[in-house]
Amino acid sequence: METRSGRRFRFRRSVRTAGEGRTILEALVGDRLPAFARSVKYHRPRAPFCGVGSCTGCLVRVNGQPSVRACQRTVAEGDRVATENSWPGPGLDLLGVLDVAFPRGVDTLHGFRRPTFAAPLYHRLIRRLAGFGKVPDVPAPADAARAPQVHEARLAVVGAGAAGRAAAARAVALGVRPVVLERDRRPVLVDGAQTLARTTGVVLASPPPGTAEPFTLLGVADGNVGVAVRASSVVVATGGYDGALLFEGSDRPGIVTADLVLGLGRAAVPLPFRSAVVVGVGDRAREVLEALGSRAKAVVGFGEIPPDLTRRASELAVPLYPRSLVVRAVGRRRVRSLELRRRGGGPSFVVPCDAVVLAHRRLPGTQLLFQAGAAKVWSPERETYYPEVGADGATSVRGLFAAGTVAGYGGAAAPSSGIRAVEAALGVPPSSPGPAGPSPAPSGDRFVGYVQELLDLPRRGKWVLCPCEDVLLEEVENAVRRGYRGIEVVKRYTGLGTGLCQGRYCVPEAVSVLAVLEGCPPEEVGSLTPRPPAFPAPLAALAGLHDALGGEKAE
Amino acid sequence: MTLGRDEYRTVIVGAGVVGLYTAYHLARAGGGPILVVDRGFLSSGSSGRNGGGIRQQWETRSTIRLARESVAAYRRFGREFGYNVWFRQGGYLFLAETVSELERLRKVHDIVRSEGLASRMLAAEEVGRFVDGIAPGAAAGGSYLATDGTLYPFPAIWGLYETVRSLGVEVALGVELLAVPARDGHVDRVSTTKGTVATPTVVNAAGGWSAEVSRRAGLASPNVATRHEILATESLKPFLDPMVVRPSDGLYFSQTMRGELVGGITVPHPTGTAQGVPSSPRFLTSMARALVTLLPRLKSVGVLRAWTGFYDDTPDGFPVLGEEPQRKGFVQANGFGGHGFMLAPAASRRVAASVLGEPVDLDPREFAPGRFDGASGPRTVEGLQLG
Repeated sequence: METRSGRRFRFRRSVRTAGEGRTILEALVGDRLPAFARSVKYHRPRAPFCGVGSCTGCLVRVNGQPSVRACQRTVAEGDRVATENSWPGPGLDLLGVLDVAFPRGVDTLHGFRRPTFAAPLYHRLIRRLAGFGKVPDVPAPADAARAPQVHEARLAVVGAGAAGRAAAARAVALGVRPVVLERDRRPVLVDGAQTLARTTGVVLASPPPGTAEPFTLLGVADGNVGVAVRASSVVVATGGYDGALLFEGSDRPGIVTADLVLGLGRAAVPLPFRSAVVVGVGDRAREVLEALGSRAKAVVGFGEIPPDLTRRASELAVPLYPRSLVVRAVGRRRVRSLELRRRGGGPSFVVPCDAVVLAHRRLPGTQLLFQAGAAKVWSPERETYYPEVGADGATSVRGLFAAGTVAGYGGAAAPSSGIRAVEAALGVPPSSPGPAGPSPAPSGDRFVGYVQELLDLPRRGKWVLCPCEDVLLEEVENAVRRGYRGIEVVKRYTGLGTGLCQGRYCVPEAVSVLAVLEGCPPEEVGSLTPRPPAFPAPLAALAGLHDALGGEKAE
Repeated sequence: MTLGRDEYRTVIVGAGVVGLYTAYHLARAGGGPILVVDRGFLSSGSSGRNGGGIRQQWETRSTIRLARESVAAYRRFGREFGYNVWFRQGGYLFLAETVSELERLRKVHDIVRSEGLASRMLAAEEVGRFVDGIAPGAAAGGSYLATDGTLYPFPAIWGLYETVRSLGVEVALGVELLAVPARDGHVDRVSTTKGTVATPTVVNAAGGWSAEVSRRAGLASPNVATRHEILATESLKPFLDPMVVRPSDGLYFSQTMRGELVGGITVPHPTGTAQGVPSSPRFLTSMARALVTLLPRLKSVGVLRAWTGFYDDTPDGFPVLGEEPQRKGFVQANGFGGHGFMLAPAASRRVAASVLGEPVDLDPREFAPGRFDGASGPRTVEGLQLG
């Protein structure tokens, strides 16, 4: 519960109080989501979107250090929190005029070429406009008490969700003490395991094939301390996240993921909405509906809405919009309404709301697995890539296992998939039949045909496909029109997926868009190789690990 | 998909900056029909993986001249090819940690100046004017050339690709060269994964794969592919103008137009073009340590992503340009040692001239493919390879 006496910190010009253990975001959520910044290219308003430390919606400057994620950073007494990339502030930003002045976007690939003598001027101007935070004048204070740590273990488990905890507990039962990395601030601990809380796994390096060397896992604890784990086997149980949805104005403040809503709910923070539209018809949408309570104003499905959700919605007197396209969010600094259109060329209608909660698509958090070299396989039911795994979660990389949502074993199947993975990793016979097949995807959320219809719609404003870098749908269409094919090339042509979220939100959608534009099945569009680190890792944290990992000796 | 013709005048292997520039010069000279094949997608090789540095400070006159010509080419790239490569001449700053390193920089400086470029030596206290926040005592001094700079590699590839296609060049992507059968010591045809075509000339512009391409043509190659790594940080407001390089440990970094710091450092680089080895903890931690030691204010700046690419190294640090003495019609355009983007416009023009049988103003002792055959006396070496 929030207490009156908490930690005092400064947000812009006002002094605020945060309850013990609160994040900056939790402390600043009032009757609405706080606006923190403007986007990098067109200075469009940005507010928290993902709630799980991936997007660019909540970047703030803390004690002079740029690009800190408000949703991940716990408030410390005396923190100075400032906003970035806006002047005078994120609410009213003078450079917001760029968004209005360039309704079709700015073409930096072909523009600004003439006259040649003006190049230095263009360079100065565009450089000034680009870039997000200011580089600190002084280095971040060293945390003397927190030297980089190196752990050696037989087994490392990444993620302490249902699958990761079951895996860790089974390892303990088998006499092995695993090191568990968990991003969350208050993980549920497993007796006998060494759990590193507030620690993000960022780099997973597989041993060279054919050697007996261990995996090296680099992590960042508390946002600034380097952690390294050397382990012979690794179970990755990094769970999933709620995907984004492309429509006009889909980057507007108030459009959020189910992750954000459910996260605030778990932290007992009152939701900053009065009337929210839920997009999606599966279990996740159902959870959101319960969390929103009387704030829920509508449920939107791309296809039919299943009977149980229909029943629950009618109990709550929430209207349902099945077989609908989400066309447009109206409202500039905050969403005011959502325009929907019945599938198959039906009429369009507007639902007033101050929030849109995306719960239509749960994506696996596969970054570490793919970065470590695990082979991927396209799942036609879920329209995304999964690691190629057997029932025991073994990936194509020897010693590397996937468990839970990230392996396709979500929900009730998660714990048993964690147990099977650990048994396989430790070379003991399976104690149970293991998870029964990957959990089915809810049919009402299927993307088939949806994107095709979406692309045929008339457009008025910007369709921002990649909000981190302000890449517009139109730029992707131009690339394809000029003959550039495949997600790898289109990424390099447009810059989509190269921002702070590293493509977590835009790439799954870009794949569907490219499949339509290129007229091929989505799996032929290709996939991107996730680049390490999985989440941005401060230079100081990585630098600290240099000597700890024996960098000096080896040189 | 099949190839457009049964016969080409020239087949270029590699659709990177060197291959496409060569195609451009050849097509403009009426040297068609030309086919460019590449086993990957556009920009999948080193042309899409480099740090975009373009410098003219080198140890040898011949390299300085190629680089100077290339700088002029990149300045007019936007007009010539329709794409803005954002070639920003923010200078290149070479840092010396010790007095002896400073002496080496002074030698380079003397040669660069004698070639008519306005290079400057910087005292230790002057370095801070170019690198705001540099740690005290981190540099004993440096050398600086204001007309060096950085560009975005990708638009250069798009501009070249679209331009050569409009000039009638066929660019076949996802097509791998399998063999280059010869007749009477002369290139006769090329077999690829999409069929065999007749051609009297093959240009090997395959970058890190050039040694493999030579082997497939039945030729030995002195080139060795080494795997290098590079990283980019989160985007920041502009605070650093020049590309900063430190020859002692191969550190280099610059701030791009988008505001990211992009750079690399020398760590033991594995050889060969085997796939599946991602960025190493060794590189990430070494690079991070070098950056925060030199510029402590960067401590909290986040590393966003790291990736790898191949340098195509030669024993003497010079590229290999021109026709193989053992195989008429087989022309090498490779061995740039990680600096292909810097030298491509000028080097490719000479490769094209060589294909067309025109005179080439390159010293064969420095650039000719046959220069490593047989023992000879002391040779010139271009030692200013970095990264």
